[in-house]
Amino acid sequence: MRALAQRLLDYEAFAGETSEPGESATLRVYEKLRQGLGEFTGVAGFQSLASRALALARAEAPSLNALRVSADGSLHGLREIQLQFDIDKVRAGEFPAGEEELLLIAHLLGLLFIFLGETLTLRLLRVKWRGAALDDRNSENGRKA
Amino acid sequence: MSTQDKVKINKLSTGVPGLDEIVGGGLPEFSFNIIAGAPGSGKTTLAHQFVFANATPERPALYFTVLGESAIKMLRYQQQYTFFDPAKLPGSIRFINLSQVVLEKDLGAVLEQITKEVEKANPAVVVVDSFRTMVRKPESDMDLQSFIQRLALFLASWQATTFLIGEYAEEELRDNPIFTVADGLFWLRQTAERNSIVRKLQIIKLRGQDSVPGLHTFRITDAGVQAFSRTFGLTARKRNPPTNRRLCFGIPELDKMLGGGVREGDSVLIAGSSGTGKSVLATQFIAEGISRGEPGIVAVFEERPEAYAERATSLGLDLETPQTDGKLTILYLRPLDLSVDETMHSILDAVQRIGAKRLVIDSLAGFEMALSPGFRADFRESLYRMIFALTGIGVTILSTVEVDESFTEFPFSTYSISFLTDDIIRLRYVSIDGQLRKIMVVIKMRGGNHAKDIREYEITEKGVVILGKRLTHYQGLISGIPVRVDRLGSAEGPPLDTGAEHKS
Repeated sequence: MRALAQRLLDYEAFAGETSEPGESATLRVYEKLRQGLGEFTGVAGFQSLASRALALARAEAPSLNALRVSADGSLHGLREIQLQFDIDKVRAGEFPAGEEELLLIAHLLGLLFIFLGETLTLRLLRVKWRGAALDDRNSENGRKA
Repeated sequence: MSTQDKVKINKLSTGVPGLDEIVGGGLPEFSFNIIAGAPGSGKTTLAHQFVFANATPERPALYFTVLGESAIKMLRYQQQYTFFDPAKLPGSIRFINLSQVVLEKDLGAVLEQITKEVEKANPAVVVVDSFRTMVRKPESDMDLQSFIQRLALFLASWQATTFLIGEYAEEELRDNPIFTVADGLFWLRQTAERNSIVRKLQIIKLRGQDSVPGLHTFRITDAGVQAFSRTFGLTARKRNPPTNRRLCFGIPELDKMLGGGVREGDSVLIAGSSGTGKSVLATQFIAEGISRGEPGIVAVFEERPEAYAERATSLGLDLETPQTDGKLTILYLRPLDLSVDETMHSILDAVQRIGAKRLVIDSLAGFEMALSPGFRADFRESLYRMIFALTGIGVTILSTVEVDESFTEFPFSTYSISFLTDDIIRLRYVSIDGQLRKIMVVIKMRGGNHAKDIREYEITEKGVVILGKRLTHYQGLISGIPVRVDRLGSAEGPPLDTGAEHKS
């Protein structure tokens, strides 16, 4: 799941460099998931999933405590965490910078795999990431960051 | 107006096996339909089957979910069905959640949202699940009616075939504006009958075409909803004209008694008490048919197919090879909660698969026991429909039935079903010369003359063998306690054991 999350983050990082530099790749991935999944899960449905994913991620990375999922499913506090990451960069951390954000996305995707299965999840993701290589099988042909 | 002047209404496949036949060939295109029923009755599954059967990338399906089952869970469970094709998501089938609009706004906003999505996607199919939760708190009935009418008008104008799904109790059927507007109303019921669950479907209304009236049973399996028409899917088929062709048992003396055999397309009943050889006769009937190139079906309820075939082997009849060759199917039907319609479906499938000409139902008592308790009450009526349908397509049915042996009466069946049968062969025990022997008599043959003789028979390693000629030395044979008479007609009283010599 981390590999898939990493692919999405890499894809958005690459896309961000060319279109909207400075915007967090994590936030871009998260927002695409919110928009894509929110259509059929509803706002409340996505908010529940995201809250659960955040709780699971926090259990592995307490530094994510500052993150909040609001009632409309949007993610808050990411910027503050990223600033803290920059400060801590010089310290020997448990995670390299950005690893916590990866955990959040990985857990969100993991929940989708659990509830919907791999096939359906990947089909839904491809709506928002049309050009991206989402699984190992087509990574050779897809765009890799 | 002549037929060619009338507008042609396209019929869409429902995607539900058996349902197209019930709705008269398919669902009318652009119709506005309601699927109603209690929770757990299969409404969503039925709608999903329709959606998966009809959605295309060019004309997709929009599936609006409202309050109730979450879309994630719905997709989680629905993808377990074999009809669920993930390749259709999200290109051909889009799930759109309307709960936020419903919770925060009014029905006007809901209509606006649906309108927007429909105009954007140009769907062929629209489903609103569950529609009931959306209109739970209408400001007034007029508002609700107005909303429904506008929605129906809009979706029909946009050439969408629509399903609204709602939890409704039967008492809500009357005077409900939603049901008035709908073109089609599908009612799903799930009731407990003693320890069994019985699912039934009714097409309460369907504009523009004839549907099959009445309650049709349905089952939900891994393949989704499967409906079983009360007419067994045979309404469209012409009944075969009666023929004079005779089907033999392969028991020369019995075939003679029957005037050459039973008439093709007849329903034959073999009645007798336990151990009189009903199943043996039935097996010989099937085996003889196979030897003459007439494939057969045996529906067994009281023993497994392997045991049935083994018993045939002990009679010198090979039922293994024809099964391998596709000339014989032995169906074992005993899940204890079947409907006659489901049983019929299994039999019909087998009949069509191997082109069966002969069918044995062994036995009617076992058949009845295999049914859900709720269906047993309708057993006679169901049997009538089944026999009528099968004999109509030229299948000759031989049923066995166990009757209580009585020495004061001579019953043909415990089911009062003799009117359903064309021919009746009665087997019974008689006490002769200190032995319990067996006699048979042809009671009735609708298609022609038959022997009136009462014949003694034995069950040997070659099956049923009729002994000698008719029994002329006894009176009261059918009572089971005959009286021996001499040639002058004077009765001698109950015979003594004289060494079991057969008198003819």
